[in-house]
Amino acid sequence: MIVVTGASKGLGRAICDRLIEKEIEVFGLARNIEDVPFSSMSCDVSSYEAVKTVAQHLKKEGVKVIGLVNAAGIASMNLAVTTPQSVAKKIINTNLLGTIYCCQLIAPLMLRNRRGSIINFSTIAVALGLRGESIYAASKAGVEGFTRSFAREMADFNVQVNCIAPGPIDTGLLKGIPTEQIAKVVSQQIMPKQFNPDAVADLVELLIDSRSNSLSGQVLHVGGA
Amino acid sequence: MSSAEVIKSLVFKQIFQLLDDNSLTVSDDMPLIGAETVLDSMKLVELCLELEDRAAEIGFEFDWTSDAAMSLSRSMFRTAGSLAAEFVSQMEAKK
Repeated sequence: MIVVTGASKGLGRAICDRLIEKEIEVFGLARNIEDVPFSSMSCDVSSYEAVKTVAQHLKKEGVKVIGLVNAAGIASMNLAVTTPQSVAKKIINTNLLGTIYCCQLIAPLMLRNRRGSIINFSTIAVALGLRGESIYAASKAGVEGFTRSFAREMADFNVQVNCIAPGPIDTGLLKGIPTEQIAKVVSQQIMPKQFNPDAVADLVELLIDSRSNSLSGQVLHVGGA
Repeated sequence: MSSAEVIKSLVFKQIFQLLDDNSLTVSDDMPLIGAETVLDSMKLVELCLELEDRAAEIGFEFDWTSDAAMSLSRSMFRTAGSLAAEFVSQMEAKK
């Protein structure tokens, strides 16, 4: 079973839909699971205790977890100097600490089987140092650093840890961002075109497949950066 | 032997099985973290997973992720004895 966070919408949901389409068992986590039509549990990943409850549930049920996709994330496009402290905290807590908590608590379920793939999410904003995304980019740069170190810690247990860093993908996360601004970011990618959630789902499929077992600690940029 | 002593010997047995040097004897003061540790970090994780399994067989959940888990001064992993004591304590608390 693959555990996917942020499973109710956006990239997380697209990834779940793809995995289910490929007959891979998925367990979705999201704050609101009312409209989630597959096996799921309510969880705010920024709460260590909430993630621990999920891990305990999976263990108790004897679920064989072979993958974790940390797609839960939030963004706020603002200059750092005009971002309220509460927003900065929320971004770091969800994007960085949420990813760390899920890795800390769900990885042991994979260590036991000496098999697994963990996929974290960063952003092109880290590589490009995008204006107006400094706090968001900081949270994701933390995810990239964590991914590289955690990959080494997991290597002896045959668990791969990688990171996908998309450019602007057409999801709700881009809501409210002017088209021109999105086009400007896209123009800085190596492949200057906007990709859709399918491109990200393709990479997830690749990274959970045993044929990618030689890859760990890598940051894969959708669109190139 | 009391139930606590039986459990302590079980914990010591799990530690012994992970030692590279089989001539060592697991004792109360054998360090599990820090410069003098006899287990590397990977072995320590393996030990935790083994103890989780043993706890499940006994009927309780062994929590090795507490704030104090890795503190040198008050960690349950300070020594084999402190780990066994914590294991027994969690078992008794969940009875």
